[in-house]
Amino acid sequence: MLDARLRRQGASPSRGGPAPSRGDGRPTADHHDVRIVVRMSTFTDQLRARTDDELVTLLRLRPDLGSPSPATLASLAVRATSRMSLERALAAVDAAVLQALEAVVALAAEDPPTRDGVLTAVAGPAVAAASVAGPAPAGSTVTDGTDDDDPPDPTASAAADRALVGRALDDAVARALVWADDSGRLHPSPGLAEVLGPYPAGLAAPAATPTRPGVPPPPADVHALLAEAPAGARAVLEALTWGPPVGIAPEPSTAAGRTVAWLVRRGALRATDARHVVLPRTVALALRGGRTHPEVAREPMPSVGRRWPASLVGAESAAAAERAVRLVGALVDAWGRTPPAVLRAGGLGVRDLRRLAQRLEVDEDEAAFVAELAAAAGLVVDDGGDPPAFVPTDLVDGWAARSLPERWAALATAWRDTMRTPWLVGTRDDRGGVRSALDPELHRRWAPRVRRTVLEVLASAPEGLGPGAGGVLDVLRWRAPRSVPPEAVVRGLLTEAARLGVTGAGALSPAGRALLTDDPAAPAAALTADLPETVDELVLQADLTGIVPGRPSPRLEALLARTATVESRGGALTVRFTPESLRVGLDAGVTADDLLGELATVSRGHVPQPLEYLVRDAARRHGRLRAGAALAYLRADDPALLAGLPDDPRFASLGLVLLAPTVLAASVPPAELVEALRERGLAPVLEGPDGSVVHAQAAPLRVRVRPSRAQVQPASDDEHSALARATALVPRLRRAEEAVPQLAGDLPPLEPASPEAGPPTAPAAGAPRPDDPEARTAAPVHVRAVAPVPDRADVPDGTADPALALLLLREAADERTPVWVELVGARGELDRRLLVPVRVDGGRLRAVDPAREAELTVAVHRIASVHRARPAAQHAPDPAPEAAPEGAQ
Amino acid sequence: MTDGPLIVQSDKTLLLEVDHDLADACRRAIAPFAELERAPEHVHTYRLTPLGLWNARAAGHDAEQVIDTLLLYSRYPVPHALLVDVAETMSRYGRLQLVSDPVHGLVLHALDRAVLAEVMRSKRTAGLFGARLDETDVVVHASERGHLKQVLVKLGWPAEDLAGYVDGEHHDIALETDGWSLRPYQQQAIDGFFHGGSGVVVLPCGAGKTLVGAGAMARSSTTTLILVTNTVSARQWRDELVARTTLTEDEIGEYSGSRKEIRPVTIATYQVLTTKRKGVYSHLELLDARDWGLIVYDEVHLLPAPVFRMTADLQARRRLGLTATLVREDGREDEVFSLIGPKRFDAPWKDIESQGYIAPALCTEVRLTLPDHERMTYATAEPEDKYRLAATAGGKNAVVDRIVRRHAGEQTLVIGQYLDQLHELAEHLDAPLITGETTVRERQRLFGAFRTGELSTLVVSKVANFSIDLPEASVAIQVSGSFGSRQEEAQRLGRIMRPKGDGRTAHFYAVVARDTVDQEFAAHRQRFLAEQGYSYTIVDAEDLDQAPDPA
Repeated sequence: MLDARLRRQGASPSRGGPAPSRGDGRPTADHHDVRIVVRMSTFTDQLRARTDDELVTLLRLRPDLGSPSPATLASLAVRATSRMSLERALAAVDAAVLQALEAVVALAAEDPPTRDGVLTAVAGPAVAAASVAGPAPAGSTVTDGTDDDDPPDPTASAAADRALVGRALDDAVARALVWADDSGRLHPSPGLAEVLGPYPAGLAAPAATPTRPGVPPPPADVHALLAEAPAGARAVLEALTWGPPVGIAPEPSTAAGRTVAWLVRRGALRATDARHVVLPRTVALALRGGRTHPEVAREPMPSVGRRWPASLVGAESAAAAERAVRLVGALVDAWGRTPPAVLRAGGLGVRDLRRLAQRLEVDEDEAAFVAELAAAAGLVVDDGGDPPAFVPTDLVDGWAARSLPERWAALATAWRDTMRTPWLVGTRDDRGGVRSALDPELHRRWAPRVRRTVLEVLASAPEGLGPGAGGVLDVLRWRAPRSVPPEAVVRGLLTEAARLGVTGAGALSPAGRALLTDDPAAPAAALTADLPETVDELVLQADLTGIVPGRPSPRLEALLARTATVESRGGALTVRFTPESLRVGLDAGVTADDLLGELATVSRGHVPQPLEYLVRDAARRHGRLRAGAALAYLRADDPALLAGLPDDPRFASLGLVLLAPTVLAASVPPAELVEALRERGLAPVLEGPDGSVVHAQAAPLRVRVRPSRAQVQPASDDEHSALARATALVPRLRRAEEAVPQLAGDLPPLEPASPEAGPPTAPAAGAPRPDDPEARTAAPVHVRAVAPVPDRADVPDGTADPALALLLLREAADERTPVWVELVGARGELDRRLLVPVRVDGGRLRAVDPAREAELTVAVHRIASVHRARPAAQHAPDPAPEAAPEGAQ
Repeated sequence: MTDGPLIVQSDKTLLLEVDHDLADACRRAIAPFAELERAPEHVHTYRLTPLGLWNARAAGHDAEQVIDTLLLYSRYPVPHALLVDVAETMSRYGRLQLVSDPVHGLVLHALDRAVLAEVMRSKRTAGLFGARLDETDVVVHASERGHLKQVLVKLGWPAEDLAGYVDGEHHDIALETDGWSLRPYQQQAIDGFFHGGSGVVVLPCGAGKTLVGAGAMARSSTTTLILVTNTVSARQWRDELVARTTLTEDEIGEYSGSRKEIRPVTIATYQVLTTKRKGVYSHLELLDARDWGLIVYDEVHLLPAPVFRMTADLQARRRLGLTATLVREDGREDEVFSLIGPKRFDAPWKDIESQGYIAPALCTEVRLTLPDHERMTYATAEPEDKYRLAATAGGKNAVVDRIVRRHAGEQTLVIGQYLDQLHELAEHLDAPLITGETTVRERQRLFGAFRTGELSTLVVSKVANFSIDLPEASVAIQVSGSFGSRQEEAQRLGRIMRPKGDGRTAHFYAVVARDTVDQEFAAHRQRFLAEQGYSYTIVDAEDLDQAPDPA
């Protein structure tokens, strides 16, 4: 049955041609020939062939390509194939695209696949083919690997899988990770294979020289082989089938060891050294039934947890939002009076954090978050004073005057865009120190991006469902498998979102969803809709408690703030009246009658007698002690001495006040007082240095915001400007192409300007290396001599530009085509050789020199120029290039 | 959003609006799992605690029911964290069960292997377990049944005690219901207790807790050990049992400092049990003297720590706790839960008052302004003397005198803490004084005279705090107390709450010195009663005569 499947797969049109030739073990030389003849275009060509719209899309999908702006499409191509850019591009793609890429890389290593070939390799054969194939066994084996858990309608889901892979493939092409040649065959972009690692899709590299003596070729029919294999052989192969393909060989003396040896002798395994065996790619593919992946990576639905009704999510989010705003307000209030000091290394001391937590009645984690939130919104800053302290800014007054939803929106958008990572507070850094809140070290450039990503995952969950950190990570692992944030980060972000009311009951709230839109007014509006109606009623009870059965109106809240302490919050607000809480109101100058009058207007019934008694008793006891400010005092045992002084017009400027018959207070410093009295003929003496009372109720401190620190660019703006930049860039690139029509690829963009100046925006494609004078003088001459063919001018066949040279080398490595490479020797002489590049990585070129039958590795900075060898060159080297180097040398 | 009577707060308190149409239904629905914390006039506060939720589980309620009730009556959306927490907490009860195995004896059986593993790893359970039988069962030393339950509550995995009880020695007891019958709530309390096996019945002072005890004894019909707070209380239990049940005086023994009788029904005082001689509890044998079928703990909130330890060894016997309040000043509510049993019945005082079973009471705090010289003395006194100075302020005598005259013709108790002050007061009022020094015989004579109306005023020390049945007393004047004890205040109010023959309102006065710690302690003491719905009117001593008419 398996045999049948293999044959059918092998006979499918996409894999028709090369399949038999692989099996018969003929040398690959003619193989190369075929491919070189077939090859009609290169990566750069297809990039050039893209429409403007496609280029814009590319620049938008891979923003690093457009910044700084490349000068030409060729340098764009260079950048797109650099390891760094490819890593970034891979970090941004989802699991399905990654599968498609792996499939293309894996298949193209032997024979560039067609689109359909990739779809079949990843998702299985087209449904029509499967159903046409008819007999149940074949059909069932095909669906075996893909749809174990979804038996009801395998054909529909198989079609959906193929569609998914198709979309992934389109995406890969749009991102210039894969390109199609004129015949529709797909190639991985140069350099991609190296970035993806040694075993794409868990397949071993194709056998480079299958004719090595003593190594048997892989069996033509592995299933037939297995039928006669010793016991355990199948298990050995199956363990390696889906990769990684390398296994450790058991001791040869054991039964397992003998089985492995048996398989090695028949070519079903290949021994790489004494300890390791590798499953050859053809065997693996045969065992896999021609597939590169057992099943298509479908986007997981975040389905963990319970779905809560929208009303609950809204209510919890509103409650949390209100709490967050209240806590930030309390922090600003507290720090406005006593600003905490800034640690020497920056940040808030542990003791100050603990004090803040006590003041806010929250734990230290949350206190740290509140402090970070206030700082992110620009409400508090390090004032840079001496000593420095965290002080509220003048933004506070404007913020505090706004409505609750607006205040929240200001905090929430600041949180959305901040690079701060408050969840790290309290953890230890590399040197073992505890990270403090507001520590400047807690900046992370990726924070806003990850935060947005997490919110987007929440937004994609069904309404009312909180997927939790696990669920979010499941989705993120699919969306960007190569850049999954650590679980602690996701957890931290979700905790923050819950504290801020961006989520309610773990699910994204309408207000949180509004944060993802571009409309700056949306968050406040969404929160307004979720906030419960305010209540203007207070239930007063004889046990000196009061209850607001709902959200208190601002007026009620203000009244309670000066008369009562809060006991519990939630759907309602419960408060307790104590002598201490009433004192706040009395301190503000409210009389007992006023207070009782106010309470009576909001109270449902009468003010209970014990409460009324308490208020009056508190008022009676209030102010029995008096304190005041004086700069000096004057005392005398004889009241008569002091009696006239306050009324004496000559002393009016001293601000004398009679406190008691024998004590006067003055509003000038003692020295001044004494001086003035002496001038009038009196003889006072100064009494001790600590006789003055300095009592200055300092106004809450405010400093100006330094715009550079508080200004936060909303991420949505970035998005827009990125698109605008990309759209503007493409025409410039086109113009650059037209400006140097013939030699765009051949010539480094020296352009008319002096080489040293170079275009500042394209450092990669710029001036030749200053430390390499030969290269600078030799290269241009050489290039002009070598590339005289006018009809192929737009194909870069040779270059001395280092960046373009790398591109050429990568392309050549990909295709295993030979190129002419000029190497700079130790004494500066040029050495020209025909090489087949194998790999360009980490600043080194590994290549095979067919003429000397040797492999060599050279540092790329020693390469002066690279020229594509003509297709025919392999058999009959073109005389022109042969001659030119002699002339140059 | 519904328009329910309940508001659920994020700190797990529930606010019930009592004037709401659905308030009664809601109260009944939440009573099994929420503890009533405060019951002032408009909004009652209940609290969800692990103990409360486990009590509910013990009574057969499940988390689904609790959550449905909250959602049904709540006015605003209930915080989901709270719902999750309720479900999680309730699911912890009963994952471990104490069962009686025919072969191995007492066995801890786990419905969840992980929980058993966690519990067995804990240091606290070291030495409590015997052999491990299999993955879900482990033998428990029979002597450690109570200790293990205590530990498991502390670990957050309360065990369901299904090991049953020894039957005890049979003894015929029946209620003699000639001309009276159990009140409905008393019957409910007895049923609730028996259904649950062991546990605590919470009833206000004066609501007839003794009868609940008698009813339980009749239902059990076994030999019974009754533990009470003091000798006077022991005699009252005996008299009540003789009057209300078929038991005769000969069948009831007293085991106290003065007498050591062991009879089918034995009443012992906490004090004699906790008396140590040469460092050992010399009366422990009482607990094993007979094969008791029921043990009754009167005033369980006062149970001294040594008795807890002894009780830990009595887990195989049925235990009934009686109290007016589960508030313990020492915070050992969880030990009551694990060792005596879960709360089996609870009724708010105001409910029973409204049914007419206890007298309505008016509470008044009279504030006395100290004269200048006393304020000066107070201001300069050492902190440890301040309360005594303020509580025994001389001006209080005159105030008490005025209150007594105001209620002339009513049976009045004057209660205080400090003997000097009480002697002075007794002299001032020309009334007899009962203190701890008064002989039991003299006490009983004076209480008897007071009951018959021969005496109208009695000055008593804290000996009268508990369990003294003075049905006709309708005025109590408290001049000093033991600092801020909430349960003492409740007990003292309880002295005057027996329903009066003519349905009179009882009056409770607390005389307090203004602007002193006396006032602060008074405020603390009143909290329990205020939370039970008794509102204190505060009057100045000078305005006493203009205070609302006492009638």
